[in-house]
Amino acid sequence: MGPGLLLFARQWTRSAADAEDIVQEAFVKFWRRNHKINNRALLYATVRSIALDFIRRDRRRARREATAFAEADPTIEPQFEWEDEAQSALATAVGCLPHDQREVLVLKIWNELTFSEIAGALGISQNTAASRYRYALASLKKNLQPQ
Amino acid sequence: MNDFSELENDLRALRPARPSPVLFERIEEAMGEDRKVAADTDSGWSWRLFTSIPLRFGIGLAAAAAAVLLLFMRINTEQTQNRGKDTAQVSPRGSETTRGVPGVSGSTSPSAWASSNKFVPAGATQVVYNERDEGLQFADGSRRPLRRVRYQTQQTWQWRNPTTGASLRVSYPSEEVVLIPVSGQ
Repeated sequence: MGPGLLLFARQWTRSAADAEDIVQEAFVKFWRRNHKINNRALLYATVRSIALDFIRRDRRRARREATAFAEADPTIEPQFEWEDEAQSALATAVGCLPHDQREVLVLKIWNELTFSEIAGALGISQNTAASRYRYALASLKKNLQPQ
Repeated sequence: MNDFSELENDLRALRPARPSPVLFERIEEAMGEDRKVAADTDSGWSWRLFTSIPLRFGIGLAAAAAAVLLLFMRINTEQTQNRGKDTAQVSPRGSETTRGVPGVSGSTSPSAWASSNKFVPAGATQVVYNERDEGLQFADGSRRPLRRVRYQTQQTWQWRNPTTGASLRVSYPSEEVVLIPVSGQ
């Protein structure tokens, strides 16, 4: 769960250290409210909520992030450990996805959440989650095709 | 969705960066601090927490550690009680409150000592900080493959004395290998 959860938090931050702060705060909040750890949708929703609070706390940071999200700045990309050029290209392509598609992809692929859990975590319908996932895959496939 | 299955496999093969090794320690520390504050405001919360955390791995080791710790605390309590009896006659407080009748005061009686040395469970955490898939293997005499998964965790148990506010914490790393039967397809 650790790397996937960190990757999810990483979407709202530029640095891994900030993402770790978010994960830490989420665990403490989850713990304090005595939620069951197997309620994954709620855990990821907590991470997301804290990540958004984290951004709001610093207005300067919020402005930077908002601008970055609007422009789909490729520097805000999930961090991966790739082994070859193909994986590097795939990681870059994932980083270039629109934010709403990327968060669904991250939850589905690297956190193995069901569409029902993703819907609960992101506050969207299951159909929306599934369609964003399909759009993300289609977009990746298109971008990775040899020109 | 089938036309994306290859891409999905490629994505799954891409591994996210691992958290820094100190992250789980930071989380554990933060939870400990938070628990301390929460225990002061709601004494029942910590006990509920203690029983509700699902302990999947290393439960035997954790139970053994807890048993040893409780045994240690019992011995310590008995020693303290005996010391309490011995020192009641010379303790300043005893002489002040009972005016030359040591051991009669409730505050210095053995039962008071015992109650003040009672530790109650205050929390348990288990942070799985590494999970490694070590591939398939066949157990002796079995044709069915098993997936071997190694979990590395950090277990923490905590007790608290509600009378004195003292707390006791045991934290240790544990490792467990789990064999999961793989169904044929």
